[in-house]
Amino acid sequence: MKMTISKSIKRTDAREKIRGEAQYIGDMAFDNPLYLKTVRSTRPHAKILDIRLPDLPENCFIIDKSHIPGKNRMRTVVSDHPILAEDEVLYIGQPILLVAGPSRELVYQISEKIRIDYEDLPAVFTLEESEKQNCVFTEYSFSKGEPDTAFAQAARIIEDEYRTGLQEHVYLEPQGMAAEVKDDTVFVYGSMQCPFYAEGALTEALGRPADKIRVIQTTTGGAFGGKEEFPSLTACHTAIAALATKHPVILIYDRDEDIICSTKRHPAIIRYKAGLDDNNRVTVLDMDLLYDAGAYTGLSPVVLQRGIFSATNVYNFHHLKVRGRNFQTHTVPSGAFRGFGAPQSVFGTEMLMHNIAITLGLDPLEFKMKHILKQGDPSCTGGKIHDKVILPELVERALDLSDYRQKIQKKKKFTGVGISLFLHGCGFTGNGEQTIKGKIILRKSKDRVVLKVSSVEMGQGADTTLRKIVAHTLDLPIEKVTCEIRDTGLVPDSGPTVASRTIMIVGGLLKTAADEMKSRWNDTEDFEISKVYHHPGFLTWDNDTFQGNAYPTYSWGVNVAEVAIDPVTYDIHIEKVTGVYDVGRAIDERALRGQMEGGIAQGAGWATLEVMKSKEGRLVQHNLTDYKVPTSMDVPEIICDFMDNPYEFGPFGAKCAGELPMTGAPPAVAAAISNALGIPLNEIPVTPEMLMELEKHED
Amino acid sequence: MVDAYRPKTLAEALKIRNETDCLPIAGGTDLMVQKARGTGLGPGFEKPLLFVGHLPELHRIEKKEGYIHIGPAVLLSELLHNPLISDTFKKAVALMASPPSRNLATLGGNICNASPAGDTLPFLYAADAELLLENHEFERRIAIEDFITGPKQTDLKPDELLTDIIIPDINFPVTYYKKVGQRRGMSLTKASFHGLADVLDGYVEDLRMAFGSVAPTVVRSRDIENSLIGESVNSLKNRYQEILELYEPLIQPIDDARSSAMYRKNVCFNILKDFLNYLEKNQGDII
Repeated sequence: MKMTISKSIKRTDAREKIRGEAQYIGDMAFDNPLYLKTVRSTRPHAKILDIRLPDLPENCFIIDKSHIPGKNRMRTVVSDHPILAEDEVLYIGQPILLVAGPSRELVYQISEKIRIDYEDLPAVFTLEESEKQNCVFTEYSFSKGEPDTAFAQAARIIEDEYRTGLQEHVYLEPQGMAAEVKDDTVFVYGSMQCPFYAEGALTEALGRPADKIRVIQTTTGGAFGGKEEFPSLTACHTAIAALATKHPVILIYDRDEDIICSTKRHPAIIRYKAGLDDNNRVTVLDMDLLYDAGAYTGLSPVVLQRGIFSATNVYNFHHLKVRGRNFQTHTVPSGAFRGFGAPQSVFGTEMLMHNIAITLGLDPLEFKMKHILKQGDPSCTGGKIHDKVILPELVERALDLSDYRQKIQKKKKFTGVGISLFLHGCGFTGNGEQTIKGKIILRKSKDRVVLKVSSVEMGQGADTTLRKIVAHTLDLPIEKVTCEIRDTGLVPDSGPTVASRTIMIVGGLLKTAADEMKSRWNDTEDFEISKVYHHPGFLTWDNDTFQGNAYPTYSWGVNVAEVAIDPVTYDIHIEKVTGVYDVGRAIDERALRGQMEGGIAQGAGWATLEVMKSKEGRLVQHNLTDYKVPTSMDVPEIICDFMDNPYEFGPFGAKCAGELPMTGAPPAVAAAISNALGIPLNEIPVTPEMLMELEKHED
Repeated sequence: MVDAYRPKTLAEALKIRNETDCLPIAGGTDLMVQKARGTGLGPGFEKPLLFVGHLPELHRIEKKEGYIHIGPAVLLSELLHNPLISDTFKKAVALMASPPSRNLATLGGNICNASPAGDTLPFLYAADAELLLENHEFERRIAIEDFITGPKQTDLKPDELLTDIIIPDINFPVTYYKKVGQRRGMSLTKASFHGLADVLDGYVEDLRMAFGSVAPTVVRSRDIENSLIGESVNSLKNRYQEILELYEPLIQPIDDARSSAMYRKNVCFNILKDFLNYLEKNQGDII
């Protein structure tokens, strides 16, 4: 009998990584390379008046905007970020020049001697100031039902405001890129999630066609969204420098530099007005989401879309009004980060539900359960939830595994239990998948199969799981199925490795191709099958009115967090988190467990430890000494369980997984802290400093 | 590039120190970070380095005439495994940095680095530690609180080396240590407290209280301690507010990237209160 797809196998990349054999960008060797260093703005908003350069030693170069052969804009959704600053800078850390030279020491010395004269311009640093001055990049709104009438009829109206902070990705390997020109083709190598994003950016920046550009992903030491759009910038920097200097160039960031200039999670303010009926049911909700996009727009419009389309979380509010706005501030641009705008709005809505319940003296879980979505209900954008929703079963399992009911009844002062319910929309937001039309190729040569996709391995286990889908379908040992390297010259564009879409969308295409390959296995020795994504026909979406199915389906989860607060120091000890998930079907349980445990650690970190503030556009915590992510000593005991609920269009029933746990842990942890101290919480990160203030206030 | 010296003996090291303006370095866990410039670049030391971590003379732990002598090059991890080191000191050392750092960092480095957040310092202050400083001709013995003069500032003369850390071998029946960090592991201290006491029949015979990370140097007031010696532990607990007011002007923390002054101050007072409660509760258990 064939083994179930969920049974764990050894990760295909484990051996070379553990033995130190994997080649990261910093391990690559080139002939006569030049090292690059980026000279950055030290001002949050200023006009560049003059740049004074030192005498350059032999074989050293300065690269500026004049060396850009094409358009001086980094291509993203909204391409407003200059690759190298023109006459104005909009944030501290903005790249202005590149210094290239044969040794890092020389390059460092030259960059130290460069003097830039600025004329400071007025700057906006916070969301509040930006709102006051109406510096809006993007604004969206949609509604459902008849919110105005519902408010007029409400028995009770509750207004509240929630806040979430900056978050730094802290991938293990800092950003790094290298480029060389061979036979009039520009080769760019580096640590990245989306090789075709970099290729797209390069075509515009270099003004040359894609067939004269090759982007090759090297072993990538983690990403979490931090290597989605950002590497397009460093890819352009290295490619421009390689063309200008006629040398291979290498650009590798230090950790401190990486933190200062790379994208962060959008800080958010979310304002709510909820109308309740006589039975304490929320009948109508008005939400206003403000996301701090930083200095340039970049991906923020899409981040905001996921934020607003996830805004009601797992709940069905019959009447709804949602407004979302991205604001400009003179701080480092915000960008993609695991969860992509949803963790902010889900945190707000989960905590709103928790806080309304405790204000009304109700049990938060019972209160939440009265509002949950069921199969056939409309989503917040009016798209019918067509799959079975097993949320009640997930909740029951989580309660059993965590002994929640017993614990919440017998709780002592300074200990607390909190529960969160959450979802994640699978795949791209809105019509993203239809626009991208991901393509894959499966190639059979003799008894071996090579899969060709642009979806990358970045530590999450994609190579293992994608190979497993094909090997399992074809009844082949996993060693007979290999992945082509992610080289834009060799693989088709299966889309970026984002939006928890790799297994469901790309894995789904591979499964279909493998099924077809199986039926033709003995036809010829070598052949190729190519597949292109088609959206399931029964889904509807109107991208102008935001009506319909914003996502093909959803994955669901429940977290129970248990915390203890130190009464002397207010230190928060997250002792245990129980997570139960519906991700359709697990492709590999251990790989999935890794995702869930990592996501819980990252979510719990964002909710408690990870304080990052900027003061007048400058990050206060700009190194790993001051910006704290959880260590193994801080990660709680984690109980993790999966419940099967196969999705018709996913490979073996798989839905999305990677971003889901990031969304669930923060509200569970915050609810547990709220429970421990008997106070409402409206903001993360929750710090001992904040708790001490709140307790003093309560006294 | 800078020069570096790696003498074979302490005498040789002191000779170099006398002749050269150099920077002594043992484990380098803090200096390498302070002087780091970036990936692929050497650290930016302005002076020649004098490596002292390997010198056998600086690398011993021994008991002599009522004192424990610890060589400044002794690693933090070695302190954790030595029976001559008291458990309460080990508790502070065990919460410092990470195992790899503790396998490289030295006690002398933590002292000479003179950070207000130096994790071994509150214990050393509370235990009346003294330091032996030598140059090529003389040696002098100095109390740790006279040696550390400010944040990152010491009384070390350009020709001197720290050669011995001398701690009275006194066993305190009541010990209390609290470190407040940003997280449980690998964390710089936001505030810390080391309390040592000797209680007889409910009365305080000896009392030491040292606060870390809440002023330019470790806070210890012998005047306040002396005013409390002879009191009953019960009355100390009840005089919490008054004691707190005595310490109030001494505890002057700063706002920084890791915490707020307000939090640090409040938490110090909470810890002090907790210590006094602990003193009352635990006095009877100790013989």
